[in-house]
Amino acid sequence: MAESRLTALPESTLLTLADTCLLWGHRLSEWCGHGPVLEEDIALTNTALDLIGQARALLQLVALRRGDEVTEDALAYFREPEAFCNLMMVALPNGDYALTMARSMLLAAWFVPVWDSLAQGTDRPLANIAADAVKESRVQLRHASDWVLRFGDGTDESRRRIESALVSLWPYCDELLATTVDGTDQAERNASWRASIQATFDAATLSMPALPDAATNLLTATASASRLTLLAEMQSLARQHPGASW
Amino acid sequence: MYTQAFDIVVAGETSPVADDGDVQTAFLARIARDEKIEPQDAMPEAYRKTLIRQISQHAHSEVVGMLPEGGWITRAPSLKRKEILLAKVQDEGGHGLYLYSAAETLGVTRESLVEALHAGKAKYSSIFNYPTETWADIGTIGWLVDGAAIMNQVPLCRCSYGPYARAMIRICKEESFHQRQGFDIVRSLCEGTPAQKAMAQESINRWWWPTLMMFGPHDSDSTHTGEATDWGIKRISNDALRQKFVDVTVPQAAFLGLTLPDSAIMWNAERGHYDFGKIDWDEFWRVVKGDGPCNAARVSDRVAAFDEGRWVREAAAAHAAKSALSKASLKVAA
Amino acid sequence: MTTEAPEAVTPLFEVFVRSKQGLDHKHVGSLHASDAQHALTLARDVYTRRQEGVSIWVVPSNAITASDPALKSDNFDPMASKVYRHPTFYDIPDEIGHM
Repeated sequence: MAESRLTALPESTLLTLADTCLLWGHRLSEWCGHGPVLEEDIALTNTALDLIGQARALLQLVALRRGDEVTEDALAYFREPEAFCNLMMVALPNGDYALTMARSMLLAAWFVPVWDSLAQGTDRPLANIAADAVKESRVQLRHASDWVLRFGDGTDESRRRIESALVSLWPYCDELLATTVDGTDQAERNASWRASIQATFDAATLSMPALPDAATNLLTATASASRLTLLAEMQSLARQHPGASW
Repeated sequence: MYTQAFDIVVAGETSPVADDGDVQTAFLARIARDEKIEPQDAMPEAYRKTLIRQISQHAHSEVVGMLPEGGWITRAPSLKRKEILLAKVQDEGGHGLYLYSAAETLGVTRESLVEALHAGKAKYSSIFNYPTETWADIGTIGWLVDGAAIMNQVPLCRCSYGPYARAMIRICKEESFHQRQGFDIVRSLCEGTPAQKAMAQESINRWWWPTLMMFGPHDSDSTHTGEATDWGIKRISNDALRQKFVDVTVPQAAFLGLTLPDSAIMWNAERGHYDFGKIDWDEFWRVVKGDGPCNAARVSDRVAAFDEGRWVREAAAAHAAKSALSKASLKVAA
Repeated sequence: MTTEAPEAVTPLFEVFVRSKQGLDHKHVGSLHASDAQHALTLARDVYTRRQEGVSIWVVPSNAITASDPALKSDNFDPMASKVYRHPTFYDIPDEIGHM
């Protein structure tokens, strides 16, 4: 009985997905109460909730397999920063709304095909999570792509901001495309990613920056430093009270 | 869900509105028959003005109320608590939105109401001018502040103005989890380590009196209560609601093993209620008038979000205008 | 503090939600959005956070034409006397049973 609840996927894959969702959900949650319009504030919080929910489900799978009373919270709050396996892009600070929406689009365009193929896969525990998550990622992709389109085809200022957001995020896309997720086809995923981004860029009359070579040390260092700050805040209270229940 | 003292008016800040006697008489007769007033109906100008002031104060309170709790979303000590808190703060945004919509049916724009808030001309619940210093404050706000607000707001579901009453029904329904999650946080702390329990007690010590102030001035001192009652906006007096709140909260605190910071709290068998101590009204008016610990920070946070969002709103409007134009030209071409 | 000209008013939309398949769309509230499509996606987040719906309509608020409340009596009172439109107006013998 317990066997069927255990996933066969490698832990590194689970943690890549879980930590990416968790940190990205955390970043989006920082917007809550500070959004550009009340309606948008509410909408973006739905995305943050979706991502934290996905992270929890995945961390629970990891915890279940590790046993020894490991919990989702132990993994989220008491792992050291260097043990996190997130895609680098999600750790960066939010910046303006263009940077947030551009990042949301780039990530959702990656997650949709990932969840889609995991949902159809044979690994039941993960397929169940993926089947729900793919719907949420599709909504996230539509929401973010709509904004990228509005910014590209809005005012001079919004176009300048979205272009600069894409320039600063683009170097991190290399990692996005190079990361393998067991149980999914990397080439198919990347083709799907390119196609959906391209469609939005075309509609927004934005041009796709060229993909650079592998991320430089500087980029990696920036992302690690951001992650350190993010986790220091996220884990602060839990670590002041080790062993406490909340 | 957050309001205090609905419709707080600082002496000298408003001028009375003269009204046509006939409108007034017919209107009061409708209220007496318990009829609902809808947006296009004839209504005395003073009724409309009072509603705009009260509903917008209420809406501002929800939106400003996102800030003190919002500051703890990133530090919530478990993933479950993080989700719950996010959903709760989001609800407050939703409630602000429903209330702005209700105010807009009275012929004002949300933009003008928000501008008044940013210019410091509009009030909001002063409870949010107190800081959230610890995680326990998140529990206390849900348990006590939301608890007090619910008591204030449930009677508003029967308010004479249809759109306000409908917004309140929706809000109260969604709100029902807010107080429970707060109590649940405090309960976990009380059942936790000594440090957690101390955190809960310290938080209650700070929030108890400001929460009692949320019900507004004593009935004998509130100048607007009479009118609001005649108009079917206010159904139960400030003091009656405050007493009801004390009566339900004292046993809850006892259950948790927490001490309310008022040595005068004692069961009065004759009255059938708990007696409690004197409220520091000087503090109340000081905070209402802008001198609370966080007044300036709260408004400047809202202004910053609004100003930083301006280019986003402009981009959306520009894009919508361009799309409408290109659709129109497509039609012409066809 | 904002010193520029007051911000342009974002269009207001009325939101209607079908709570479940087979029922009417019902007015639930309003929201601001730059265009109808935008209003639709925002309405999903604002008005169906607790799975309140399976379908949403949005209508620009200024596209609604409403009857005049001052004519309420003239318009609707005359219907009160048409009692023969209601089944309870007719006596059916007990022997006939349900009809």
